[in-house]
Amino acid sequence: MNRGNGETDRRRRFGILCESLRPDLLRFAWWLGRDRALAEDVVQESLLRAWKSFDSLTDESKAKAWLLTIVRREFARSFEKKRLELTDVDALVAAESAVLAAPGDTRTAEMREAIFRLDTDYREPLVLQVLMGYSTKEIAEMMGMQQGAVLTRLFRARAKLRQLLGLAAEAEA
Amino acid sequence: MIACLEFRRRVGAEPFVDDAEVAEHRRSCAVCARHQDELRAMDGLIQRALAVDLSAKPESAAAGATAPRRRFLAIAASLVAGIAVGSILLVLAPRASVAREVMGHVTREAVESMAPTKPLPAAAVAEVLGPDGMRLESSAGDVTFAARCVFDGRVVPHLVVRTPEGPVTVLVLRHRSIGKPLHIDEQGYDAVVMPAPRGAIAVVGQDIADLDGVAKKVFDAVDFGR
Repeated sequence: MNRGNGETDRRRRFGILCESLRPDLLRFAWWLGRDRALAEDVVQESLLRAWKSFDSLTDESKAKAWLLTIVRREFARSFEKKRLELTDVDALVAAESAVLAAPGDTRTAEMREAIFRLDTDYREPLVLQVLMGYSTKEIAEMMGMQQGAVLTRLFRARAKLRQLLGLAAEAEA
Repeated sequence: MIACLEFRRRVGAEPFVDDAEVAEHRRSCAVCARHQDELRAMDGLIQRALAVDLSAKPESAAAGATAPRRRFLAIAASLVAGIAVGSILLVLAPRASVAREVMGHVTREAVESMAPTKPLPAAAVAEVLGPDGMRLESSAGDVTFAARCVFDGRVVPHLVVRTPEGPVTVLVLRHRSIGKPLHIDEQGYDAVVMPAPRGAIAVVGQDIADLDGVAKKVFDAVDFGR
């Protein structure tokens, strides 16, 4: 295969990956930043970074975890640049009301807002576990933490959600 | 056997945990078993809640609906000026933006995509256009490059078609709408971006005397699907 066709194949494989994974990457970025425009920017920048280092991905079955880690790092960079930690969560809820809405499904809408209001420390592992389907061991690797710390955060995330939704609170782990 | 507190700590972190100790406690404690069932049900709700739909573009009306009432006058006051500025931007900004992005993409990828190669098999072209429900008839010319590229945050088909007048780059931009054809002459390239049945299509070439004619021929060879 000549260089041009090899490059074409590389692009094709990357394009297919991006296309299939972009919705999940965007959701992950949105739940991290709670801002639609920021999520779009982070995913765009992440895909450009991913393209540059695509050759380092030796096992394409691990592409999703690889891309999520890139999104996570890119978000951290954006977060550092924009100092978003000072943002008022009520203002974020108002700004993202269109995404938070679940027409005709009050319980989902309430849960969505409750998750939205969780601290990032709790929200992120919950998204990786429930939405992305990763084990606590995999989440620990992605977040650079001990597995025990991830378990504690997940326990607390659910306990806080039960609290926010008026269900019985659990004893602290 | 683990105690109730330990059981709840474990299932609180992993409601679906597959663990012999957890299973044993569950069998012996109906209250804890019910608690785990509740957590599992809550996880179903969490999963639905997390699956937000970000496919639609954000609507400014939705954000406006949640704005505090006290901001109404300020918004109204700025509306007149906003309409004037907005009208200008509406006409100029997307055109300037799409021109910049098309030329940026083509110049970045020129070395790789325009390298002389053999015509690609029809299957390779179909693989690139297929996900968008499109086809390219052979009347357009031989396709020497076909890839799905990241453009403006979307994945779009990028082709290089060898026409009798010279090679042209074709970008199919289903997510971008323009009202009328846009001509660009920048960085040694000429481009025409045309409205398509869905979105737009950009045809870029170098030193092609009748780029409009070539672009029309390529456009006519694209089956945009449903």
